Parts: sequence; C-alpha cells; structure tokens
Amino acid sequence: MKLSLLFVAVGFVLVLLQTTLMHLLPLGPFVPDLALVLCVYLGLNHPTVGAVVGSFMLGYSVDVFSSPVLGLNCLAMSLVFLTAYLSSRCIWINSPLLSAPVVFLASWVKGGSLMAVWTLFLAMDGLGAGGLKYAFVDALLAAIMAPAIFMLLRRGQSYVESKKASMETA
Amino acid sequence: MISFVRRNQVLLSAFLSILLSLYIIAPATKGQMRADPIGPLLIALMRPFQTGIQMTVGGIKDVYFNYAALRGLGVENEKLKARIRRLETEQNRLLEDEATNKRLRELMEFHAELPPGSVTASVTANSASTWFHSLLIDKGKSSGVEKGMAVVSHLGVVGQVVSVTGKNAKVLLVTDSHSGVDAIVQRSRARGIVAGSLENGPIMKYVKRSDDLQEGDRLVTSGVDGVFPKGLLVGSVSKVNKKSIGLFQHVEVALAVDPARLEEVLVLKGGAAKATE
Repeated sequence: MKLSLLFVAVGFVLVLLQTTLMHLLPLGPFVPDLALVLCVYLGLNHPTVGAVVGSFMLGYSVDVFSSPVLGLNCLAMSLVFLTAYLSSRCIWINSPLLSAPVVFLASWVKGGSLMAVWTLFLAMDGLGAGGLKYAFVDALLAAIMAPAIFMLLRRGQSYVESKKASMETA
Repeated sequence: MISFVRRNQVLLSAFLSILLSLYIIAPATKGQMRADPIGPLLIALMRPFQTGIQMTVGGIKDVYFNYAALRGLGVENEKLKARIRRLETEQNRLLEDEATNKRLRELMEFHAELPPGSVTASVTANSASTWFHSLLIDKGKSSGVEKGMAVVSHLGVVGQVVSVTGKNAKVLLVTDSHSGVDAIVQRSRARGIVAGSLENGPIMKYVKRSDDLQEGDRLVTSGVDGVFPKGLLVGSVSKVNKKSIGLFQHVEVALAVDPARLEEVLVLKGGAAKATE
C-alpha cells in the first residue's frame, strides 16, 4: 500500500466529514477545518511534490463544496502548506499535542490569506472585526482537532511504512 | 539548473500551486468564473457517501428523539418493553412519514404560489468551511437548474445557485457574507440589501437614516434584483441602531429560514416574477 494512497483516502474522509457530520456539532456557523490539519501534517512530515498537489486538491475540494469563488481555498491551503514546509526546517514535532499550536498558527495564515484576497481583489465587505472572530474560532477548533488527527496520521504512516519495509525485506 | 530544481522541487511546486490558484481566482475579480472540470467529478464521487451519511444521521436522530420522548410512558415488564420498542420503531417510521408529508405538503402549497416551473430539491451536503455558508442540492443542469436561480423554502428565502453540475447545484445561502437580497420593509416600504455578515449575523445594508424601521418589522423581497420574486418573506428586523453619524442605519435581521434545518428547497426557474401574496 502506498503512503500517498493513505493520504488521498484520509483527505477524502476528512472533506466528507466536514461537509456532513461536523455540521451536527453545536458550533453555530463554525465548522472544524480538518483538511487544514492534514495540510499542515503533509507540510511538516511528508513534504513532497505529491503533498503539494494534495494540499492544492484539498483546497479545491473545499472550494467545490463551499466557496462562491473557485481557487480561494486552493490558494489558502497552498500557502498553509508552504508555511508548514518552511517551518518544518526549524521545528520538529514529537508529540501530537504540539501540533495544536502549529495548526492554530497555520489556520491564521489561511484566514489571513482569505481575508487578504477578499479585500484586495474581490472588493467584498462584511469582514473587519467579524473576520477576526471567525479566524480565531476557526483556528481554535482546528487546533483542538489537530492532536487526534496527527496521532491517527502518524500511526497510519508508520503502519504503511512498516508494511512496505517488511515486504522489501521479504 | 536541474540539480537546483531537484533540490528545491517542493518549494517550486508550492509556488506553482500558489500561481495556479491565483490564475483560477483571477476571473472572479471581473465577476466571472473559470470553467471547473474537476468539481463535478468530486461532487459525483462524494455524493453517494454524503447522501448515505445524511440518511443515516437523519434516521438515528429520529429514533433517538422519538424514543427519548416516549420512554417515560411507564413500561413495567420486559415483554411490554419489547412490545413498546417495536411500536416505537413503527411509530418512528410513521412520525417520520408524517413529518415528511407535512413538509412536502407545505412545500407543494408554497410551490403553487410561485412562478411555474420550480424544482423541488433535497439538501445533500453542507459547506465544508466556516468562512462560507452554502449547501449542495441534488438537482442540477439535468433538472433545468441554472446558475443565478433563486432558492427558497416554504418559510422564505434561502439563497441563490452559484454553480451547477449535471446532477447537483451549489447554493450560496443568504447568511453568507458574499450574498445579497434586495428587500423592503413590509410596513414602511423602506428598502435595503439583506446580506450575511461575519460580525452579528445577517444585516440589512444601505437603509437610509430617515427610513422608518422598527424591531419586528417583516422584510420581504422587492423583486428588483431580478433573482427573487417580489413578496417572499426574508425575515424580520431584530435590532435597529441609528448611529450618530453616517448615511445609513445599522439593521440586524432574524432570517425566516434556519439553514441548519433545511432538508428540502425549491429552485425557482421563473426569475423574478411576483409571488402570490
């Protein structure tokens, strides 16, 4: 089993959860951004060209199901991946719990890029203080979900890698 | 050169994906949209799973709520308990059928009041992001749904179709900060735009300071935006704040439709013809 297949499957499930079950949580208009957590994980632990494409596609999927403007989340996710990748040279996350602050900051990168594109290029109003509140709650929710998703991804990755290693030795 | 590219391939591909994103966004600055070849495939791939999950969740919710409501009836022995459970299951099914019938009947009655050619659709998925308020419905081009069509329920205005595939359509809800519905106050005929906002929920923008508005005033569509027929209920005024300076009042709106509870909607094909009041 290839590692990339695992990430594709996880990405599919996370977007599926975001569009269905996550709306059952009593969070009002807020939806935990699970795709963002995967994007950060890829940037930190699996920085390959395939992961760049994966992050882009995660953003694309979110755009397809949510955004009135195609490409907004593609841009945001690509920036998040790039930030995570660049910071992976400086930080090393041993414990899944440490993923929470990283995801929190990455979510601000996403929120910031969305607000910047809205304001600079699409001339849309309705942001301001409300935008900051959305960015904060979005980041907080993603950070809360991050340790669990990181742990599952790490376990999945180790399982696939050990399978691959045992097949190679055999 | 090749070794440089190989060494920095992740960085370069990330920059390329950023450029590609900007290339995709670019037409939106002119109010257009680039063709989306992958979106319909993604939707088609996810649709069965989303529908399955929605149905399962709906079933579980019904069973839970109905069981919770009925379990205090005082069942004394195991036989009776078992019998009651059987009856409850049956009742759940009947209640659900009744609720569905009621919803559909209301929708059909409302349907008759609208311009001819409206399409009934079910909600299959919700938005995947906090930043956007949208939903996906199970009717698309094959049912005659087109971009820009108005979406309503028997309670009032829901939103507008922003993209369509063969069998699905994405609806931007009135609660989204990018949406806007031209509305008038039913009592005073004051006019404004009802739009979503990230700050305090939906608001009515561009209402002149001199206009007469009171809390509880009903807001209906004006019909002049060319999307929604005139006279559809949008919501009611929940708060009015006349600031000391500025041209406009700050008006907060309680929408008639709660998007979280939507299961079926109507897509209006007839444009902005007048709805029967």
